[in-house]
Amino acid sequence: MRTSLDEIRVLEQYIFHQQAPEERLLIEAKAHLDKELAMKVQRQQRAYLLIQNYGREQLKAEIAHVQDQLFTQSKYRRFKEMIVNLFSPKS
Amino acid sequence: MKTSLKMMKNQLKTSEGRETVFLRLYQQCFPDVAKYIHKRGGSLEDTQDVFQDSLVIYYEQVHAGKDIQQEKAYLFAVAKYLWFKRYKTQQEECPMDNLEAMEAMEAVEEYDKAEEGTAFQLWPFLQQAGQKCMQILKSFYYDRLSMEELADRFGYRSTRSATVQKYKCLEKVRDQIKEKALTYEDFVR
Repeated sequence: MRTSLDEIRVLEQYIFHQQAPEERLLIEAKAHLDKELAMKVQRQQRAYLLIQNYGREQLKAEIAHVQDQLFTQSKYRRFKEMIVNLFSPKS
Repeated sequence: MKTSLKMMKNQLKTSEGRETVFLRLYQQCFPDVAKYIHKRGGSLEDTQDVFQDSLVIYYEQVHAGKDIQQEKAYLFAVAKYLWFKRYKTQQEECPMDNLEAMEAMEAVEEYDKAEEGTAFQLWPFLQQAGQKCMQILKSFYYDRLSMEELADRFGYRSTRSATVQKYKCLEKVRDQIKEKALTYEDFVR
């Protein structure tokens, strides 16, 4: 694996607390001296946050699709009626 | 881990499997949540919003390794807490009368914390990283596929080449963050 990818792997282990304490301390010391490395850690953390949000958005779209099926398809008519009746004002 | 939970975890790894699980959970759990929210003056739309987020929380917790045995009770507790947190005034407090309620509260707080970092304005830039890259990253970090499953799904001959590709994609996203010089403020709505 090329050096930059290896660095990503090491920083990933650091971010997810998958290293031994001494390795962790080493990264912290390096990042203290090397601002670019510190920035890389920060950007990588943001990248994970982005991926999580991306995953969430995709999952929400899948859930919305399921909900849509339940409220539009005739095979789920009974389910829909039960829910809609619950919320309709009593006459 | 109980076999049924393990089976469901596997089922949640594909979009077809997720559809089946979500359809089942909607039919089993949505009516009770709807009755609860309706009784407290909420609308059908409120219920749908709350239930959607409850399912996301449930999904994330299962993948994070939480051993949820009573899925119906768990989903109901999460939905109840979400409802109180989002729609009720502060004078009214959600009853924290059991372990499930406490766990639900923790899960919701965790979820909301990550939501604060939602970056809608970043979608166009993410699309530049490439759809395939984003799918690979999502499958590994969000859907928690193993390297074997990842290699298989995306057609890599070995887990090693899948691993290299995963890191390349991560590097791409990280580089774009640098390029755009994104600050924390860009991540919040």
